Amino acid sequence: MKIPNWLIIAFLVVSFLGFLDATYLTAQHYLGTIPSCVITTGCEIVLTSEQNAIFGIPVALIGSVYYFLLFLLAVLSLEMKRGIIRFVALLTPLGFLASLYFVYLQLFVIKEICFYCIVSATTSTILFILTLFIIIKSSGSTASRQNEND
Amino acid sequence: MEIQQPRELTKQERRELRHQEKTMEQRQRDLKRLYRHIVLWSLVVLAVGGGIFGMIKLASRPPQDNRSVITAGAVTPEDWVKGNRDAKVILIEYSDFQCPACAFYYPLLEKFSEEFGDRIAIVYRHFPLPNHQNAKSAAYAAEAAGQQEKFWEMHDLIFDNQKEWKDERSADEVFTNYAQTLNLNLDQFKTDFALKEIRKKVESAYQNGVQLGINSTPTFFLNGEKLASPRNYEEFRNIIAQAINENP
Repeated sequence: MKIPNWLIIAFLVVSFLGFLDATYLTAQHYLGTIPSCVITTGCEIVLTSEQNAIFGIPVALIGSVYYFLLFLLAVLSLEMKRGIIRFVALLTPLGFLASLYFVYLQLFVIKEICFYCIVSATTSTILFILTLFIIIKSSGSTASRQNEND
Repeated sequence: MEIQQPRELTKQERRELRHQEKTMEQRQRDLKRLYRHIVLWSLVVLAVGGGIFGMIKLASRPPQDNRSVITAGAVTPEDWVKGNRDAKVILIEYSDFQCPACAFYYPLLEKFSEEFGDRIAIVYRHFPLPNHQNAKSAAYAAEAAGQQEKFWEMHDLIFDNQKEWKDERSADEVFTNYAQTLNLNLDQFKTDFALKEIRKKVESAYQNGVQLGINSTPTFFLNGEKLASPRNYEEFRNIIAQAINENP
């Protein structure tokens, strides 16, 4: 398995940042702090929009759990078996698509941009790209192992 | 580890010694790995726990904590006042009709007005944020209704139905409907709605707010002192009750 350390550590760091960001929004959701309206950000509009929850579960909480799972997978793969990191490939495409959808909602439906949501879209995009690297590296390593066997 | 007299050891003994060293090494390696596991997982728990705690702290801190020097103390003749204009306790709100937080606070202010009656002046000042497309129109509508002595009635209707008009392209029509509901003289209302003086008043209130350093709504001033937006009814009520006790 030739997935390099830096890839997993980068994944670890970015997923943790995403986790912090989403947790902040979740906390804000549940504390019921009414986000006051500020001149420059549209966060209060985005966060109080009708699209802020799916089946009653706030999007921020789903994001928080999502990033936590990814973070856990990164830790496990450092700790136990390198190959575990490949399981992130099951999650990150979903996260990436969800982010695209949320950016679309902000731009064209709610028509307001929320900084924290854009941070989340960025982290999930980076995680998706890292996943692509991981897939390339790990399939590359199986190929090279086969070559060695020949 | 140094062996002091190697020549005296038999082959057998030497082999045992080597074996012992090996198991020792192995055990140390296992121990090291265990430590590593413990440290790593502690770090993970610490990072995640600390992260959650920190974010909750961050999210629950009041939006502005500068109970600062800026003052907005006195009631002016143009101000819309609930309660007693000459009360010793003055609560000034810079508000935006399209802001959900302002809509959240409006029933609280209503309650304070009922409870404290003549002992408080609750002032509404316009601060329509530029990123709220219908906020200004709403302010004009309230002012226009004010020309027919129904500012607060319009104010209530506008807040109660905020969701209905906030994304509306033709919000002006919605407000005209409200004017009808309030039995206002519609022609007069429409004229006043477009009145230059009213637009100027709203604009100057906004500029006044900007000069005070306001960048968000609602912003409250209690007897000139800027409040860090209280998070709930209880907290807010306590602050006001204290001010009323101090100014009998």
